Amino acid sequence: MPAAVEAVWQRSREQTAGRIETLEEAIGAMLDHSLSEDLRARAERDAHKLAGSLGMFGFPRGSEIARELEQALAAPAPSQAFHLAELALALSAEIESRPAGPEENGDGDAPPADGRALLLVGPDPELIERLSAEALERNFRPRSAATSAGAHELLAMEPPDAAVFDVNFAEGGADEALKLIEDLTGREPPIPVVVLTGSEALLDRVEVSRRGGRGFVQRTRPAAQVIDAVSATMERSDSARFKLLAVDDDPAISDALEALLAPSGMAITTLNDPLRFWEVLAEVAPDLLVLDLDMPKLDGIDLCRAVRTDERFGQLPVLFLTGRTDADSVQRIFEAGADDYVNKPIVGPELVTRILNRLERIKLFRDLAERDGLTGVATRRRATAVLDDFLAMSDRFDQPVSFALFDLDHFKQLNDRLGHTAGDAALRRLGEMFMDAFRGEDVIGRWGGEEFVVGMYGMARDDGVQRIAEVLESLRREEFTSGEGASSRLSFSAGVAEYPRDGGDLHALYRAADDALYTAKAAGRNRVLPVGSKVGAAPECPDVVVVEDDPMLAGVLIDSLETRGYRTRWIDDGQEAVSALAGASPEVSPALIVLDVDLPGLDGLSVLRRLARDDVLRSTRVIMLTARSGEAEVLEALELGAYDHVAKPFSVPVLMQRIRRTLKR
Amino acid sequence: MSQKHILLVDDEDDIREVAGITLEAVGGWRVSTARSGSEGVAKAIAERPDAILLDVMMPGIDGPTTFGLLQAEPSTREIPVILLTAKAQGADLRYFAELGVAGVLTKPFDPMSLPERVAEVLAAAAERSRVEKAE
Repeated sequence: MPAAVEAVWQRSREQTAGRIETLEEAIGAMLDHSLSEDLRARAERDAHKLAGSLGMFGFPRGSEIARELEQALAAPAPSQAFHLAELALALSAEIESRPAGPEENGDGDAPPADGRALLLVGPDPELIERLSAEALERNFRPRSAATSAGAHELLAMEPPDAAVFDVNFAEGGADEALKLIEDLTGREPPIPVVVLTGSEALLDRVEVSRRGGRGFVQRTRPAAQVIDAVSATMERSDSARFKLLAVDDDPAISDALEALLAPSGMAITTLNDPLRFWEVLAEVAPDLLVLDLDMPKLDGIDLCRAVRTDERFGQLPVLFLTGRTDADSVQRIFEAGADDYVNKPIVGPELVTRILNRLERIKLFRDLAERDGLTGVATRRRATAVLDDFLAMSDRFDQPVSFALFDLDHFKQLNDRLGHTAGDAALRRLGEMFMDAFRGEDVIGRWGGEEFVVGMYGMARDDGVQRIAEVLESLRREEFTSGEGASSRLSFSAGVAEYPRDGGDLHALYRAADDALYTAKAAGRNRVLPVGSKVGAAPECPDVVVVEDDPMLAGVLIDSLETRGYRTRWIDDGQEAVSALAGASPEVSPALIVLDVDLPGLDGLSVLRRLARDDVLRSTRVIMLTARSGEAEVLEALELGAYDHVAKPFSVPVLMQRIRRTLKR
Repeated sequence: MSQKHILLVDDEDDIREVAGITLEAVGGWRVSTARSGSEGVAKAIAERPDAILLDVMMPGIDGPTTFGLLQAEPSTREIPVILLTAKAQGADLRYFAELGVAGVLTKPFDPMSLPERVAEVLAAAAERSRVEKAE
């Protein structure tokens, strides 16, 4: 079509849509037996206009349909209403079959309209350019933004099918990016987000994964691998979607189905040629099959019967679309093994509702097989499948996977003391907490009894410990009560292993995590230990010494550290700290000292001075806890050789993150 | 020879626009338009086009009535008129033919071949009138 004519069409689309709406309104009124003369006349006129113009715009079939509608509307017979509804639907489908916006002009750079939209966010134009080029190659429609604000604008125009973030988490903007990631992954259906990793110091993986970010890939990897990761992540989220296969020889109907159901987020495949049915069925492996009753060559009844006798698809729910609702037809439909039918002319909200209802039921069944009935987390079978998937991804993209195994502490006593109902309630609550804490992509499964597993893709062991410890801390805050009012608090012990360094397959990982879990239990329970932790109180060789005079704050810190498997010692006086930590051969040599500035005996900076003088800082790192106003203090501390500082008041997770970071390097 | 001039009478904006584009670009016509029968008659009298393309179904004065007015006006009586109609059933077509129009084109039309069809209809009508005069 000449561009000038196409331009006219683009301007008149809306008018066309309005006319079709009038037709639909009139036909709806016919179905209700409430068609007024005024509406009839308007509809007839609009059908006439459509008949006269659609062909000119390249919709010859649209004109034909409109003409038939025009003739019928001149003297409408109620018996025709269904047929007319079908025509109106076909008419809309015909118009919708051509995308809005100018036609492709054949320019090689123009992205294909059917590609999946990929949002690329990052400050490095060169990197984004490389990723865009690769994405185009792979039939994505890349959209890029340098900042989160820019990304927001793109989002408002078109929600992407996936996103890649390359964010410098050190230079501000991290909050914005994290919020954006959370927004994307929190949508229904969630939009998969791949986060590029560079220098580990700049990216807090724990924070990213808490927001549902996924599929970490090194930013130095070739663009092709990054896009691979996007595809793999999308595939995984696709497999969680419901798949629907619709067989209808009329493309107008299948197109309408696609248009109606697409917003529900399910994956829809339509097939217009029933002869390719088996091939496509096997390929798609749908959750629901929608069949047209009347098709040439092979009709829906034949297909449904065949499906019912098939070993693999015998249980597949089948919904019929039919233009006939006479008793005979309906009986034939159910005899063939259909689960439900929908009257075809009203392919609209009713069909969507019926399909969604059907899917709810399927979801229920699927959940029965894949979700643990009591806790709501994945069954062992399901968790195993997802974990295997994670390990394969890890091999491909060179990312770690954290595997945590945990077990409720003293669960038997809880059951004995408060009764099994309270025990069940505790397990259920635990499941809820884990599902809240681990969004979307991590897998949490009940391995049996009160033993659970968590798989975290892209998380190193220490990051995994951190995330599990956070759940442990919130569990400890909860009180569980029996019907009689007796109450108890709960905790769990966990072991965390990392793939591939602690085990080359799921079995080996499980054994390694189980060892660490055993160590955690032996160390007094109520903690999360990574593989390789040593047991014992061992006051002479703690990992972290806390020098802090406020017993409350010190208690919280010690508790948090021990929960994460660190061995600790608490000193509440500056003078004491010097005698224990400084000198030619100090009594204790921890990996890290958390040192308060304000101390009795000797202040923190003086302690630090002594530590520097005695060369302790060569093997031990120091994080200073400073007052918010003490800029001079901070400078002095850093000059003296403190590794990092955290201003009071601070949040425990922030301090824990800094500690993790400090100990990592 | 000066450029031929056609007057397009149709209440539909789209159709006026599309037909106008291709009659100008492909057919080489000079095109003026009117959006109703009465405007069409006024413009026909004022502009004396070489041909008129006239929509049948319009609010107010419809195509056949407009044609009647053009026939009653001496200055426009000789201008060949082609009716443009979405109603292409036999009975309607016979009725239009009996009115004495130069020809009937059906909607929807293919924009690109519209100028050619207009030219064909006009040529055939000219041939008919030449034969009639000779008789």
